Amino acid sequence: MAIDAQDDVYIVDMTGRIQVFQTDGQYLRGWRTPAVDQGKPCGLSFARDGNLLVADTHYFRILTYTPQGELLESRTLGGESGTGPGQFNFVTDVVQDAQGCFYVAEYGLCDRVQKFAQDGRYLFQWGGRGRALGEFARPQSLAVDAADRIWVADACNHRIQIFAATGSEARLVGWWGEEGDAPGQLCYPYGIALDGLGHVYVSEFGNHRVQKFTEDGRSLGCWGTGGRRAGELSSPWAVALDSRRRVFILDTYNHRVQQIRL
Amino acid sequence: MGSRELGFDRPEYLLVLLLVPALWLVSYRTLAALGPVRRAVALGLRTTVLLLLVLALAELQVRQVSDKVTVLYLLDQSESIPRAKRELMREFVVEHVRRHRDAERNDRAGVIVFAREAAIEVPPYDDDIPNLGAFEAFLERRDATNLEGALKLAAAAFPEDSAKRVVIVTDGNENLGNARGVAAALAASGIAIDVIPVQSATRGEVAVEKVTLPADIRRGTPFEVRTVLQNFAAPRDEDPRRVVRGKLRVTRKLGRREDLVGETAVELPPGKTVIGLRHVLDEPALHTYQATFLPDDPADDLLPQNNAASAYTQVRGRGRVLLIEDVDHAGEFDFLVARLRAMNLELDVQPSNQLFTGLDELQGYDCVILANVPRASGSGTADISGFRDEQIEMLVRNTQQLGAGLVLLGGPQSFGAGGWANTPLEDAMPVDFQIKNAKIEAVGALALLMHASELPEGNHWQKVVAREAIKALGPLDYCGLLYWDDLARDTWLWGDGAGLMRLEGQREMMLARINRLTPGDMPEFDPSMRKALDAFQNVTAAVKHMIVVSDGDPIPPRPATLSLCQQAGIQITTVAVGTHGPPGSTPLRDIAAVTGGQYYVVDDPQLLPKIYQREARRVSRPVVKDLPNVAPEIVYPHEIMQGIAAPLPPLTGMVLTTVKDNPLVEVVLRSPEPSDTRNATVLATWTYGLGRAAVVTTDAGHRWAAAWTAWPGYDKFFGQLVRWAMRPASDPGKYTVTTDVRDDKVRVVITALDANDDFRNALRMTASAVGPDLDASELPIRQVAPGRYIGEFDASKAGSYHVSIVPAAGEPPLITGVNVPYAAEFRERDTNRRLLQDLASLRPPGGQPGLLADLDLNASNRDQLLEVNTFRPGLPKASRIEDIWPLLLFFSAWVFLADVFVRRVAVSLAWLEPVAARVWRLVRPPASAAQVSQRLEQLRTRKDAIAQTLEQRRAAAYVASPDGRVLEEGPGVAAPPSAPLPAPTAVDAAPPSDAVSSPAPSAEDAAYTARLLEAKRKARADHERQRKKEP
Repeated sequence: MAIDAQDDVYIVDMTGRIQVFQTDGQYLRGWRTPAVDQGKPCGLSFARDGNLLVADTHYFRILTYTPQGELLESRTLGGESGTGPGQFNFVTDVVQDAQGCFYVAEYGLCDRVQKFAQDGRYLFQWGGRGRALGEFARPQSLAVDAADRIWVADACNHRIQIFAATGSEARLVGWWGEEGDAPGQLCYPYGIALDGLGHVYVSEFGNHRVQKFTEDGRSLGCWGTGGRRAGELSSPWAVALDSRRRVFILDTYNHRVQQIRL
Repeated sequence: MGSRELGFDRPEYLLVLLLVPALWLVSYRTLAALGPVRRAVALGLRTTVLLLLVLALAELQVRQVSDKVTVLYLLDQSESIPRAKRELMREFVVEHVRRHRDAERNDRAGVIVFAREAAIEVPPYDDDIPNLGAFEAFLERRDATNLEGALKLAAAAFPEDSAKRVVIVTDGNENLGNARGVAAALAASGIAIDVIPVQSATRGEVAVEKVTLPADIRRGTPFEVRTVLQNFAAPRDEDPRRVVRGKLRVTRKLGRREDLVGETAVELPPGKTVIGLRHVLDEPALHTYQATFLPDDPADDLLPQNNAASAYTQVRGRGRVLLIEDVDHAGEFDFLVARLRAMNLELDVQPSNQLFTGLDELQGYDCVILANVPRASGSGTADISGFRDEQIEMLVRNTQQLGAGLVLLGGPQSFGAGGWANTPLEDAMPVDFQIKNAKIEAVGALALLMHASELPEGNHWQKVVAREAIKALGPLDYCGLLYWDDLARDTWLWGDGAGLMRLEGQREMMLARINRLTPGDMPEFDPSMRKALDAFQNVTAAVKHMIVVSDGDPIPPRPATLSLCQQAGIQITTVAVGTHGPPGSTPLRDIAAVTGGQYYVVDDPQLLPKIYQREARRVSRPVVKDLPNVAPEIVYPHEIMQGIAAPLPPLTGMVLTTVKDNPLVEVVLRSPEPSDTRNATVLATWTYGLGRAAVVTTDAGHRWAAAWTAWPGYDKFFGQLVRWAMRPASDPGKYTVTTDVRDDKVRVVITALDANDDFRNALRMTASAVGPDLDASELPIRQVAPGRYIGEFDASKAGSYHVSIVPAAGEPPLITGVNVPYAAEFRERDTNRRLLQDLASLRPPGGQPGLLADLDLNASNRDQLLEVNTFRPGLPKASRIEDIWPLLLFFSAWVFLADVFVRRVAVSLAWLEPVAARVWRLVRPPASAAQVSQRLEQLRTRKDAIAQTLEQRRAAAYVASPDGRVLEEGPGVAAPPSAPLPAPTAVDAAPPSDAVSSPAPSAEDAAYTARLLEAKRKARADHERQRKKEP
């Protein structure tokens, strides 16, 4: 799920559709990715030019669409399965920093983040599967802050890692989180969003909640519990904020979006 | 819309109202003390109570009569009607409703489609029928016309509050049920029936009616295969002959082999034509002949479904045996096969990847041997094969119903080790394939990890494979199932935290929980594998196995976890379903490789059950028992052992089983080990239904019974075993069996002769038939003439029917077969106008009979048929009756309370006067001073006059008692003035001290006083009497 500058909400679902809604839920338009036989995309974000970036997970590539749904094929990144530079496994998310560089998270045969120049040229990578700091176990979601730091929701390590990757390599500048269901703990953080005011919002697949943190990992509050009623969540995959800093939660197994203020 | 009227269900109770005058009479007197107003009110209330009660007793009802009409269209969607016409029906109904439904009247319309069964396409509602472009209701089978079922469904679907009509669009060729009876019931309940006929076929049609063969054919003797064909075309003026040309092809099937008997060009004039082809059979077996008609011009033959028919014939000869062996271990039983052939038995070998496909294929054999065959074979996805559930059922029916022998020979892939536990095959054998003895450590443990949620219908398939795995395990085995639950946790489906549970006593619970299984998208494998590892370490099992089914996108387990699994002897088999390329498949392959498990890639989910059956066999391995070269003991002198003396050669292994606790079971050979004799069976036999079944839990010389191949008694043992089990041959000369298919029934006619060709009478024959769905049904046989017996059974489904007849107790069964080539749906070609007329002519009470349209529904008649208004009047109006007696009873209770209140409570109205005065003063302005003065003067004058009058009366009327108390006034005496005199209103009221200053009474006064006292006593007595009379 991603929200553009006009506060339109873009959602990719389990059928491979990308649908665009107003914040009140009114459907605007939709389209499908070129192929879904192998599997469906899972990560959406916006490039600096307003185009939609789609992590086409099971086709090992990043697709770029105009907001109206036109596929910009020349800007497709990847497409080849593998562990080499520029090859991909299961891509989970992509973000673009202020310099125009792309960061692509992936897992499968190796769990890493690769950095590409604006023209798609491979620059470097970091990570690798593991539990140690700087390693990943299913980096499911990315966010980039005003300082171009890369925030990684390291899902199966139940933590958030922050990297400074503007130079020739990535440097771990912070991390927090441990497995658990108490406030401040995490269980499979699948989605991450920043509000630009020093707050971090994390959707937890395993705890059926969204948690608000300070940038240094202090929990400011939790919202949601497992269930199907309004106000309850079932394995939320993503969280996003609109221009009014309202929080939108992709309530995945309830097949809906919930909007809150946290 | 409609009207309302009142009515009574029990009007005779209204006669009770005749008692009202009596009530008035009695009440008028008894209520006299209440005064006229209260008495009138009480009388009115009492009358109302009685009236309400009587109306309630008479069951007063409100009847609402509705003008609304509901029309239900019953559309025949059976295969006898061409598809184009079925589609036309839908469009016709949509337009018909749009044109005739009265929306202001809120008329309703609905659609029911029917064939073998009926389904509601559009429930009756007050709007036009939507044109969805296609029918949405699901009809599983369209090979029959069940008009009765459709009418019953319509009767149940009608709403109550409207007039009702069904419009049947059909060819009327019902071949299931009886529409007339149900239609009469519908009419009796006020439902009218209109009928729009449909002509089944407008073009030519040819059907192969049947193939006839001699019932019993001798080897080498020529005979004729006769095929009866029917051309349904009616002669026309321009083509009076209407000959249909084509080819008739006749083939013969024996097992899987099919040979062409002949193919000939034929010309078929309208009506029946019989074509004969001569043929000779040399191979003794049950042969199937099939005749197929191929028209030169497809337009001459509308329905291809009725272009083939078949028939059986039996050629007698030596006994035939089918031996099925495991394709993965082909040739294991070659020695046995050679020896049996040498003993003059005709024996075919069938590998487990080329199994029989129908029960008729098995009829060529008198005995079937499963030689160390697992239920599922193959080592990878590409070559996985095995027995389908229907094939297992066929094996069982072949023995139970049709008398063939069934022998299981042992080996590491057989019995429980072959995954045959909990199958119908286990039921058919004299031993159970599971070990029910805790002393024998034949225990395996199986953990299932489910992550196939992204597979199409993944949830369904995960349930299927879980069930298959559980069925394959023995009662002492452990099983657990891990999945990602809806609380986003790796969870065991049962067993709480322990996870692995023994199946003994828990199998049903496990199967029930599997029905509720809904696995989610697991993020990583490691936590669940850790759980499984812990669970495996807490159970004592000889084999520990885990099966993971996944699309491969969870994070793989840590190497340390896999290493621990390997050290604990846990093999992990991975089944990759819908993996997304190497990132998904590689980790799964690696898991299997590290732990020694198998790796499967599955594109077709249908293969999953066989994979799970095969993998679950690994857990069943402990039922294979190695023996230290021990010779089995003969424990029962069975005829199989005739001429065979102990000692028998030693064995080095066997498969453990548990002998069934049944007196029919004969354990013939038993191993000295294990010590529990229930599990040590080597050879056991019993009779199962009409057939015989035997198990040999060791092999036939390849591995465990290697010493037997050199044993001189080998031929005798296995030869006598197979011959004992074989279906006994009947004497073909004594009985002749013929079959005939007519009206969805198969008639079996048996002619019984004795050795002198005299009729055999009063035989108590029993018979059963097995249909194409393998359901067995008893077939009552009755004698209809000397030596002639007839039985009949339903055969509504196209396919092969096998009949076994036991002519008399102790005699071998007669086996025959009959093919129903196609459903009756394809036999009738003309519209059954007589039935349709009968249905339409039914008259509902209070209404008009229905209409049978003169025209058939087709594209050219459509517009004319649209003119028929099925929402027309002439239907009995629907009325809805509402009982209101409970309401009347409720009101009567309240009115009764009011009656009691009026009689028992005297409400004083004295407060009304001051209130009224005050109100008056408020609403009227005060008078002027002059007016007041004048009015006061008038009042004073009036007051003086009244005071004078009262003083005189008081002097005359008041009586003082001797003790100075004031007595009340006598009858007829006016009330005393309120002031300044005291108010003597009660006898015991204390007199004021200044009230007794009246002079002493004179004699005249005394007499007057006495009279007054007397009058007072009388008045009091009257008053008392009156009060006692009051209720």
